[in-house]
Amino acid sequence: MSMNDPIARGLASGWNVTDASKLTADQTVEADVVVIGTGAGGGTTAEILARQGLSVILVEEGRLYYQKDFKMDELTAYASLYQEGMSRVTADGAIAILQGRCVGGSTTVNWTSSFRTPDETLNYWSQSFGLDDLTPEAMAPWFGGREERHTMAPWQTPPNLNNDILRQGCEKLGYSWQVIPRNVKGCWNLGYCGVGCPTNAKQGALMTTIPGALDNSAQLFHGLRAERLVMNQDRIDHLQASAMGPDGVHPSGVTVTLKARHFVVAASAIGSPGLLLRSELPDPHQRVGKRSFIHPVNATVARMSAKVDPFHGAPQSIYSDEFNFKHGVDGPAGYKLEVPPLHPAMAAGVVPGHGKEQANNLGQLPHMQSVIALLRDGFHPDSPGGTVSLREDGSPILDYPITDYLWQGIREAYLHMAEIQFAAGAEAVQAMHLDSDWYTSWSQAKAAINNLPMKPHRARLFTAHQMGGCGMGADAKNSVVNGFGEHHHVTNLSIHDASIFPTSIGANPQLSVYALAARNSARLAQRLVRA
Amino acid sequence: MSDHSLKNTSDDQPELSRRGFLKTGLGGALLLSTVSLTAGLTGCATTPAGRISAVDTRTDARYQFQFLSRDDIALFEALLPAMFAGALPEEANQRRFAIAGTIERVDQGIAMFGPANQQELRKLFDLLNFAPTRIALARVWSDWPSVSTEDADAFLNRWRNSRIGLLNNGYIALTKISNVAFYGHAPHWHVSGYAGPPAWAVDALPQFHNA
Repeated sequence: MSMNDPIARGLASGWNVTDASKLTADQTVEADVVVIGTGAGGGTTAEILARQGLSVILVEEGRLYYQKDFKMDELTAYASLYQEGMSRVTADGAIAILQGRCVGGSTTVNWTSSFRTPDETLNYWSQSFGLDDLTPEAMAPWFGGREERHTMAPWQTPPNLNNDILRQGCEKLGYSWQVIPRNVKGCWNLGYCGVGCPTNAKQGALMTTIPGALDNSAQLFHGLRAERLVMNQDRIDHLQASAMGPDGVHPSGVTVTLKARHFVVAASAIGSPGLLLRSELPDPHQRVGKRSFIHPVNATVARMSAKVDPFHGAPQSIYSDEFNFKHGVDGPAGYKLEVPPLHPAMAAGVVPGHGKEQANNLGQLPHMQSVIALLRDGFHPDSPGGTVSLREDGSPILDYPITDYLWQGIREAYLHMAEIQFAAGAEAVQAMHLDSDWYTSWSQAKAAINNLPMKPHRARLFTAHQMGGCGMGADAKNSVVNGFGEHHHVTNLSIHDASIFPTSIGANPQLSVYALAARNSARLAQRLVRA
Repeated sequence: MSDHSLKNTSDDQPELSRRGFLKTGLGGALLLSTVSLTAGLTGCATTPAGRISAVDTRTDARYQFQFLSRDDIALFEALLPAMFAGALPEEANQRRFAIAGTIERVDQGIAMFGPANQQELRKLFDLLNFAPTRIALARVWSDWPSVSTEDADAFLNRWRNSRIGLLNNGYIALTKISNVAFYGHAPHWHVSGYAGPPAWAVDALPQFHNA
């Protein structure tokens, strides 16, 4: 493997990395801090703590994949890099959940969109959850610091046509649009962010904070599942973990016991509540797993006369916030408009269908364009979110009922997406809904979409952003951690991932996670170095 | 059962009996687990087929099935010609080869789904392979090996258009795993007009050149 690859180079230089599937005997290890999860939150935490001279062990259930594995192939990537081999869904199966499961977590497979937490969201958190310290002004330096660490900047290259159609449609209709900031360095504009960046341009955790932590003597276990945090009196004594076998799916039977002064959980908005529930940690107000948010996503596809080639070029470069906060922060559901990349398997999984109709639809993939709406959930009493609970086998599952409030937003989003696509010259538009035909004019689409049944399964829904479930707040009665991610009831436990968001973000959440984790880790480092 | 599932039955006469039979949520899950158990007890193949002879099933004898049973394979052999009408090769051998390969990739994909979703699919496949539930819920009267492409297509449309969410979900599950395994496979990329990763990038990247 090329020694230009930082991971290959680091491994050769003697990084302390253990593939747990290779362990043959149970073992016990110890450090100042055990960090569970290696995504946006875990990576940031590990690097900051390790740089302060603390000994850190990182635990990752997925495996370590890097440049040598990233071959721009959907089938291998979906099977190896995503939760449940890309088959994760909500409890009733109505919403597909896209979520990373590998070193770097979702930052290894995300589409690189890098937004600060909107001011409206931070202000709402201050007002509604007593998070007075998280003002836009107070957070600005943390966003700035992380933008620098992850090389985030508005994309300078012209957008691909898939994205430009969103721009053109918005421009025609007088809707606002902007260029998306991306976390890339020397990006080749290929379009394969979702299957592991083949060129190491993406500055996710895998290229930044994970190497940063490992360079500072942190230890990484991958293929190791955090089973249970075990308490001794009012503190966590150790983490019990299971090594996964070579397939990465079934435990091998070998266990690892991890002892530490402090534990940081950053296992995602589904994994973190799951771990806390399995561990039966104190939860006097039954808050763990509640208020889980997902930015429910619906989509329309358009057939353009021009060749769009929606599989090539930076996947997301244009967005519109025209409808995000239009009705205020807590009015009818707002949504951000973006564009998804469409490779054959993704398109075939997203576009529901079979037979000749499906063959015809996918046969025109090069002329296909798609817009997605990300609904801002959690800001209204009629959007209380979902619930993470445990299956019989102890694995976490998210139940997410779609309320009428959200259905209203979903229908409105279908309408505006179709309107934008027709304004940009679409020949035909189809809502990703089992009852939608191809519509050939905006007026036809408008009438038909207004009559589509807004029902689970019939409307095809997705989420790539899991948030909440261990919400932060000043009041222990309605939150799990405080504004610094410190657990309300367990003194040596912090949570540093998207699970602490008390609502959704209203933008792709990676920078929100990086920034909050950086802020909370700086404070934690001070605490631990002093002690 | 929960009143949620009971109060939904009134507006939907033709579906009434099935609604009473197959409840959404917990009721559905309970029924499906019973099906799985019963199917196993009555001799349906519910264990992975492992390596099976090429003569026997038209699949590659070297492939080791990890999840799909012989009955599941027969199910997919019946469904895929309808699923990929217009996309499969016309020539008989190529066609058989494409179907068999897709079933193997379905198996490979499911192997990475993990135990929880595998269990869900086991229930779905058992329900489709166990004659009483196949007839009651899929309205497919004969065993899958004797189901015509037209009948398979009609079954898929029934589940797609059903007003029962659980059956829509079954349709989505069947089509999604099949669609991904078929259209995502490099030799099938041309079907969707996808040329693959740009050749210049493949040439320039080290991971494509190490032996």
